[in-house]
This record gives sequence, structure tokens and C-alpha cells, in this order.
Amino acid sequence: MLRQPLILAVLFLFALPLAAQDDISPERKRAIDSLAMEKVRDLSRYISIIGSKETPFSEGNRVIDRAVELFADGSEIGVSSLYREEIQYFGVRRYFERLMALNYDRVTIKWYNIQYISDLELQPDGRYVGVITIYQRFEGVTDDGLKYMDTTKKDITVYVERKETQISGRVIEFWDVLLGDIRVVETLP
Amino acid sequence: MPAGFAQVEDDFLGDEALLLAETKQVNQFFRRFNGEEDLLGNRLSPRDSLYRSPALRQEYLEMLFDKFNPNLSPSLQRRFISSVNDPNRPTYLDFLGGEWFAEVTTTFSYQGKDMPLTLFLELEKADIGSKWVLRQVYFEPWHDLFSEQVPEDVYPAFLHPLSHELDFMNLIKIFRNRENLELYTSRSYQPDYLTLLIYESKRRTLQFKSVNKVKFHFFQVDGWYFELAEIYRRDPNRGWLITSLSRLEAGQKDLLLPYIFRSQ
Repeated sequence: MLRQPLILAVLFLFALPLAAQDDISPERKRAIDSLAMEKVRDLSRYISIIGSKETPFSEGNRVIDRAVELFADGSEIGVSSLYREEIQYFGVRRYFERLMALNYDRVTIKWYNIQYISDLELQPDGRYVGVITIYQRFEGVTDDGLKYMDTTKKDITVYVERKETQISGRVIEFWDVLLGDIRVVETLP
Repeated sequence: MPAGFAQVEDDFLGDEALLLAETKQVNQFFRRFNGEEDLLGNRLSPRDSLYRSPALRQEYLEMLFDKFNPNLSPSLQRRFISSVNDPNRPTYLDFLGGEWFAEVTTTFSYQGKDMPLTLFLELEKADIGSKWVLRQVYFEPWHDLFSEQVPEDVYPAFLHPLSHELDFMNLIKIFRNRENLELYTSRSYQPDYLTLLIYESKRRTLQFKSVNKVKFHFFQVDGWYFELAEIYRRDPNRGWLITSLSRLEAGQKDLLLPYIFRSQ
């Protein structure tokens, strides 16, 4: 029920006057950065819920559906570790399903208060692309006391596209943000 | 750790100071090199007095080198920093300015066996925006095949000038002895490994498995060459750092490029 007014609010918030040229003004960039960070925060929240052993299976699956909606079609997650040079590639849904099925009795996922937002670059299809870097601390413990911990860096592709919609007969242009491929690197044991 | 980061560090716990100091993206390397962001990684407006200020750049430039690398001479680093941060003639890196490219070490499966293959990519401006494109490839089996010394005593080492009168019937001899085919090509012939990569991939005899490592070669600063690589360790001096630095005299770039591409 609440979703529709919320979407409209977001549309108006980012439906700022559009510049005639392709360059994005610094003010617009800041607005897009906020929107992109909001999507990344949603993703972080979903990952914490999906990974938690207290999340019931059916709820976990519902959250996976919501998380997948954040991504552009065909997005993949490439995972590498300190001990393995090669990257393992997963589709987004497969990655979340693996996270939900991890064989620990207790899982804690925390996020560091550090993020880095790249500049936006124009790509040949007219969309802008950027990368947001965040850091995650993972702890998994089994009932017999075995503990696994890692800190991973997540470099998240962000696609930004100018779109149009009609609201009450008026054409509103807005910026839409979708997440893309993610590189996951283990950076600290 | 630079003084500015020590102050910011007080606000964070544990590893966050490391992560804050880390040069987290190549984009951040550019911004720090140019002095275009504050200590928290926020973009500085060109109207900000700190934007590209020599003092800020000095602080950043000093932390952009791999300080544990014994091959990086401190005096050479100082010369480089003075050169790019000369207030009268500063040098800034330009993302779309060319003169830098990526070296990507990958694993491909070739004839059923996993093997390393190195791709070289560069940024190319498109009609709209820009994109990374494949520029060169190094794959040892192909390189070995084409760099083998052709024996000088092959006879005949050419198709004689009246071969056409015999409908080139002597072609059978050169293709029978297939190891020396280069002898029969024009003087301008150069093996094109990129075409081989595309050909073998299309025929599915070569299949991509994974990216293993990425580094960048920079020729954008006049008279200098440096290499950028990603380093993780429990020290603030981490992330994307300069791991190799050389002074370049006129003409040396042309000697260095074939060495990087391993085409010689």
C-alpha cells in the first residue's frame, strides 16, 4: 500500500531539471550518489537478512526476490579470496541462495562505516556507470565452536539511466539506478 | 600514515582506519593523484580552495607508492612527486586522456588444459561515452610457435618469381614443411595474436575461465612510466599503489612497449 506514494516521492525528488548536454552537474551527481547509495544500503540490509540463521526459509526467499530486483538482468557476482587467485562467478540469485544455505549455526554480517563512490562515466549505450565500494565483516560459527571470519570488499557496479514517466498527464524525467556486476574480494582474514 | 588521516582515524574503530586510508578504486587513485577529493573520499568541488592544491597533492602523492617495495627508489619517488606537483607546471592524470592501459592476467582452457593468458586493454572513446577494448594478447603457446627461429638453410626459402607460370604448383612444398611458413610471407607480415584469440574462441578451442590479476601501465606523465597494482595487507599503505617507477628518455617508450606486450 505504501509503496506507490513512496515511488512517486522518489521520482519527484530526482526529477530535477535536466541539462541539455550529457555532462551531469555536481549537484545532480550528489543526488544520484545518494540514490545509488540507498540501493546499496538496501542490498546490504537484504544480505544481512538472507545470511542470518534466524531468518525463516520462506522469508529468506522473499528477501532474495527483493534483492534480485535491485539488479540489472544478467548481473554476476565474482568472488575471490586471499588463498585462491581465480575468481568464482555466480548469478545474483545463485549467490544469495548459497549465502542462505551456508553451513553455520550462527552468522553475523556487519558493514564497515566506509564506502567509496566513483565518478560516473558515460558508456556507449547512453547510460552512466559508476562503482560503489563497501566492506563487509562476516562471522560464521558452528555449534561445535568452529569459527570462520573474513572481511570482504565489495565493488558494486551502478548503472544510472535517464528515464521518463507520465504522472497526471505530465512528463516527468528522472534518474533510475540499477545495480550490476559485483566483485567480492577477501581483503583481511 | 599522513597527518590528516591520523585525525580522521580517531573517529573510527579498528580496521576502518585501514580501509579509509586504502586507495580503494583506480578512480580514487586518479582523484588522490590529482588532489580532487577530501580525506573522507568525498569529491571536492573545483571551487573549493583545497581542490588540486599542491599541499593536498603532496600528502596524497606520498601515500600512492608501495612503501614496502624495495625496488622503488625513494629519491626517484621524490623527483617524480616534485615533477608532477610543480606549482608552476603541475601534471594531472586524465581518465580519458589515453597513454595508459590495463594488463589482465587470465586463465583460459586451451585444448582441455587450463593455461595463463594475458590480455591488454585500453580505453577507447565511442560515439557516446567510452569503453575498454582489447588491444593485445600474450599467450605462450602462440608466442613460442611464432618466435621460433626459422632455419636459414631451408631450401627453397622463397617461391621463385616464375611460380605463376606453373600455377604455383610449388605451394605444395611450403605447406608440406609447415614450420617455416613465415619465410613465404611479405616483409610487413606480423603475427596477429588478437585475431588468433578471436578465432580460437569462436572455434571453442579456447575458453575463458577467470581473471586472476589486473595491473595498469601509465605513460601519461611526460618523461615517466609507472605501474599501478592492487595490494592488500594489514597496513594503511594498501589498495591501488604505484609498484614500479622509471624515468623515460625520448624514444624509450617505443622500446618498453614491446617488452610489456612480450612481443619481442
